[in-house]
Amino acid sequence: MSTYGTPGAGPRPGVTVHDPTTLPSDDNVDPYTFCVELAGSRWFLQKGKMIAYYGTIDFNGVGHGRLDRIVRTSFHSPLHASDWVVAEGTGRMLLADRAFDVNSYDLEEGNLTIRSGNLLAFQPSLSLKQSIVPGFLTLIGTGKFVAVSNGPVVFMEPPLRVDPQALVGWADCPSPCHHYDHGYMTGVLGGLRALTGLGGASGEEHQFEFVGAGTVLLQSSESLMPEQATGVTPQQAGVPGGGGSGAHGQGTGAPRLPGQLGDLQRRFGL
Amino acid sequence: MFRLQSSKVLAVEMTGDAVKAKNGSMVAYDGDMAFKKLTGGGDGIRGMVTRRLTGEQMTVMEVRGRGICWFADRASDINLVGLQGDTLSVESSNLLATDGGLRTGTVFTGLRGASQGNGLFTTTVEGHGQVAIMSDGPAVLLRVSPQYPLTVDPGAYVAHQGNLRRSLQSGVTFRTLLGEGGGEAFQMRFEGDGLVYVQPSERNTIGGDV
Repeated sequence: MSTYGTPGAGPRPGVTVHDPTTLPSDDNVDPYTFCVELAGSRWFLQKGKMIAYYGTIDFNGVGHGRLDRIVRTSFHSPLHASDWVVAEGTGRMLLADRAFDVNSYDLEEGNLTIRSGNLLAFQPSLSLKQSIVPGFLTLIGTGKFVAVSNGPVVFMEPPLRVDPQALVGWADCPSPCHHYDHGYMTGVLGGLRALTGLGGASGEEHQFEFVGAGTVLLQSSESLMPEQATGVTPQQAGVPGGGGSGAHGQGTGAPRLPGQLGDLQRRFGL
Repeated sequence: MFRLQSSKVLAVEMTGDAVKAKNGSMVAYDGDMAFKKLTGGGDGIRGMVTRRLTGEQMTVMEVRGRGICWFADRASDINLVGLQGDTLSVESSNLLATDGGLRTGTVFTGLRGASQGNGLFTTTVEGHGQVAIMSDGPAVLLRVSPQYPLTVDPGAYVAHQGNLRRSLQSGVTFRTLLGEGGGEAFQMRFEGDGLVYVQPSERNTIGGDV
């Protein structure tokens, strides 16, 4: 044994020093760090959120040919493809994100929709799909996933209206709808107030409304990750956020190459 | 005598001795204190020139007096490290305070620093005494032993101590250039015997996005 970690030398007494034998398996190390144990298995994780690992672990983009099978079964979100990698190997890996709170959740034959930036990692037994709500991802199946939130997560039951910035995700309930306060919309004055903020806007005139049975996940702060442009969903009739103008939307942006995953410039970090 | 007032505030009890601390990090004091700016990091002319040349500048002040002095910086989490003749390597931006008797220096770290965006050099602290280092979120301490080498993301690395060899691993392949990289193109590998401090957050690094 090394002398490091004994009182006096190294960290102050009472601070835990971790090594592979003391790190938890698929559990939190502290509120901000999550440890994943890999034993020849695979995990999907968001690019760049690994902070350290013991053992031999490979990280490959989801476009890697060897990962074809796992991508076919567990990854159905081409817009976010450039943000996700697959970790495989043996060892223990620590995940963290901007010192945000990290929590793991178990889904059993369930579904959960989450803001794309808040999902940190998931087991391939779950399958990731793009939600029809832009900027959100849906996980379906059975397995464990890890999500981050700025401040601890609060679980609420519908019916409920939430602030858009505090929303992390929702499970099992139908998609939310927008709710605008009455005064926000009525008359010219209301419209003017909404547009300019003049005459006292509280900043809380607009909420997301949830009804039905399920759970809504909220974070205890209103800070979000910077939204990344993920491109647009296929321009098809009836696809929300399809970027096209109505039913006959034709290519507005640059044409997408066949088989292209995500937007090219984002893959270069631009 | 260093102690943590809270996870983000360092309290130092002084009886006429001196403490070196990051310039402007004092938040309160009780007693008699004198603050003196140490030009160029407080390592003398040679240290100053080295720091200037290597980009590991620190603006350091010396606090001397009797009483209690509290230090904090941008609500960073603070970790205390005790040194008994060994060396702590830490990024200069993560160093909050050291006992007055500890020596600080600058060492060449090779390409690792370049990938980290912090330059090619790192700061070392050696001697007998206590050091307070800062991290974004509470640091996780990971032990490295011969049977358990450790790999760390350069953006999350804060400090290390002990008898460690560190090397840069690059996973840059043609896939990275195609934008299909694994997101962890640069990694620091630690082998030997010692401790590594890792923060639950990543600085922006050149290698961070590929």
